Amino acid sequence: MRALALVFLSAALFAQDGLNPAKLMQPPTDTWPVYHGDYSGRRYSTLDKINTGNVKHMTLAWVYPTRGVQGGLKATPLEINGVLYYTAPDHAWAIDARSGHELWHFAWQSKGGIHIGNRGPAVYGNWLYFLTPDCNIVSLNIKDGKERWHKTNCDLDQFYYGSVAPVVIRNHVIAGVSGDDLDRPGYISSYDPENGALQWRWYVVPQKKGDPGAETWPNEDAMKHGGGMTWQVPTYDPELNLLYVTTGNPQPVIAHKNREGDNLYTGSIVALNPDTGKMVWHFQASPHDTHDWDATQVPVLFEGEVEGKPRKLLGLAARNGYFFVLDRATGKNIVTSQYVPTNWAKGVAKNGTPIPDPAKMPQIDGALVTPNQGGATNWPPPTFNPKTGLFYVPASRAYSVYYIFDTDDNPQGWGGTDRGGANLGSSIEAIDYKTGKARWSHKWESGGRSGLMSTAGNLLFCGDGANNFVALNATTGEPLWHANLGTAVSNGPMTYELDGTQYVVVAAGDSIWAFAML
Amino acid sequence: MMRLLFIAGLLFAGTGYAQQPDLAKQRETFQKVCGGCHTPESAVTTRRSRDQWQEEIGRMVANGAKGTEEEFGIVLEYLTSQFGRTGRTGFMPQGMLGEAGAKDKHVVDADAADRGRKVWASECIDCHGTAARGTDKGSNLVRSDMMWSDRYGDRLGAFLKKGHKMQSGGTSASLTAAQVNDLDHFIHERLYETLRGSPIFHPQDVLTGNAKDGAAYFNGAGKCAGCHSPTGDLKGIASKYDAPTLQGRFLNPRPMGGRGRGGRGGASRAPQVTLTVTPPSGPSITGTPLALDDFNVAIRDAQGEYHTWKRTPDLKVVTNNPYAAHDQLLTEYTDKNMHDLVAYLETLK
Repeated sequence: MRALALVFLSAALFAQDGLNPAKLMQPPTDTWPVYHGDYSGRRYSTLDKINTGNVKHMTLAWVYPTRGVQGGLKATPLEINGVLYYTAPDHAWAIDARSGHELWHFAWQSKGGIHIGNRGPAVYGNWLYFLTPDCNIVSLNIKDGKERWHKTNCDLDQFYYGSVAPVVIRNHVIAGVSGDDLDRPGYISSYDPENGALQWRWYVVPQKKGDPGAETWPNEDAMKHGGGMTWQVPTYDPELNLLYVTTGNPQPVIAHKNREGDNLYTGSIVALNPDTGKMVWHFQASPHDTHDWDATQVPVLFEGEVEGKPRKLLGLAARNGYFFVLDRATGKNIVTSQYVPTNWAKGVAKNGTPIPDPAKMPQIDGALVTPNQGGATNWPPPTFNPKTGLFYVPASRAYSVYYIFDTDDNPQGWGGTDRGGANLGSSIEAIDYKTGKARWSHKWESGGRSGLMSTAGNLLFCGDGANNFVALNATTGEPLWHANLGTAVSNGPMTYELDGTQYVVVAAGDSIWAFAML
Repeated sequence: MMRLLFIAGLLFAGTGYAQQPDLAKQRETFQKVCGGCHTPESAVTTRRSRDQWQEEIGRMVANGAKGTEEEFGIVLEYLTSQFGRTGRTGFMPQGMLGEAGAKDKHVVDADAADRGRKVWASECIDCHGTAARGTDKGSNLVRSDMMWSDRYGDRLGAFLKKGHKMQSGGTSASLTAAQVNDLDHFIHERLYETLRGSPIFHPQDVLTGNAKDGAAYFNGAGKCAGCHSPTGDLKGIASKYDAPTLQGRFLNPRPMGGRGRGGRGGASRAPQVTLTVTPPSGPSITGTPLALDDFNVAIRDAQGEYHTWKRTPDLKVVTNNPYAAHDQLLTEYTDKNMHDLVAYLETLK
């Protein structure tokens, strides 16, 4: 009974091949096989055909108009064997990566759910997977877009919904959940890629007394309903076989009287075994979050040097304004810094986590707090460039007043929010991971926030607040190139090389735009 | 796809229904179509809007209900006319937040909820609390999976039918269908009031500061008196805005910057950010910014002329921000400063 719109099949369709799993372990060059380009979350490409010396000649190659979809275009396309796979809420497409011609379009008949956006699909062999706002995980055949199966990933009646991109680790399709209107637990699930059978599910918050983390909640009811949605696409270290998941805010979101404690494992980075879903370590970026900041930014994996020794590191620029570097084998903190000035913490604990200031938690008469609810950064992905050693993050400095509206001893849902204040500016912060301090900062003249990508061509691709798709010099932050798309960049850019031509692809408005040196 | 076609057909049948059969014929059709699976009476324990009945019929079709398009159209007309919801609709989140949950989620009939309040007070409140959030004696219904999946009493009604001890000493099985309906709307109203945008979603009391200290800050460290006067531009400001709006307005006086209730006018007279652009050959031109980025700048001057330049190192662009002092203060206020200022401004009636 599901509506299926198969528009047409071109001759090129028969050349569509599945994803070679070996591509998942290689730098993204002729293939962009996962949401972040590779498992590391660096959004860094080794391609350098387009570089600081010639980017000013980059020009439009093609545009694919989706003709408008609810929730906009926030996904990062995958590129496999010359075909882009793309999703938006209730929609999936296959598009010729050389020309922008549509190969197929799948439309899902929705039963509801918040259509805020869709981060993208995952592909395993010949199969595509994406989440729908009405709580389904859907598998399509990448050759023709026909539905293979769909399974329930969450309960729509409990106001969960689907927005995040799944990630495939060997024979696990791993998918998070979205939704923080009701006090419900967040979790992340692993499904069999062949039939959608549930393999494991890890709950972010303890589900019964005695569970790890239960000591950070006042009672079983609070922890079972404690939130922690898994809005972000996990990253993965194949050597350590660890999956890095960032978790959302606790519930109730703002009025917090009934959830005293740190509220583990909300607002955290957790390392899971992708085969079992068992947690190996955790680091909490926002203990007892009361500002809807969560920690669901990208846990970026990179190799670095600490005190002269090579280390496997994880960097996170959190929505709460703090930048963290951890040892990703152990979760031990190495660097904690503020990448924009904040006023909500009393200091930093020995383990590297900020210590919330109770005076800056939401108040009945209001507390002036920075960052605001939008955060110092948000879901748009950062990038790490190993050639510059810099971690680039789209940042904002904004103040707002956090109020408690629900003064009940047992608040539910949100129970408050932030209002007013002002955004004092948006920028790209290029952070030296060794110190946590910005080496350069490029302030946008007209605000703006988009996903980022960096390349071996010493370029940083991003969007500004004036509807420009922009290339900055990754070493200096100097603006080198732009194209005004008439509407703001709405996703994280990506790149691939086909037939000797490097393409750079980005979404804005209702269209996907490809640029190249033609 | 088949379901979509059916719904389209239903709409057509409904809107083109010029020659309405009599009520007896409608009821006969209703019993024929719906009576195969359940007693027709069990389907009409709640009043619903036309859209809700249409959605319900769609669900029944998906579950195997048989009938022609004309018959389903007659059933829709019958249910809408005889069991339609004509009362006030209770709070529902709007916009994107309104998309949360299923499309066919329960819509509160505010009149029914008001009636349900009496049932609640007499039979439920002792155990489940004023706001249905539970007590030591009864569960929190706002966190009840059953209530969030309930549609117009289908699950609550089945639960109560089993017999649940009530505070009057009676059993819930004795509640009438109308009472269950009203109770169901009341409980859903309690559920929805926890959602963003609900009637309880507004600041409670922001007047906690010290007006005297606020005046001192206004005239001293805040340097507000350099631009503003309680007998000039701020005269009667507290009569114009409520306290939460006042708080928002001084934190960010840009049009729409200070959110809250109350207030009127002001946006068109608000100071404007301008740009002064000085080309290498001069002279300077000042105007309203139309575009400003790393590559181009465009303004419209006071005469309405449009000017645009490619940005170069020798093109000077200066932003004239009349709100700069307020922006700077955001980084300096303590919460006490903020609350004291609200208290002081509130005295300027």
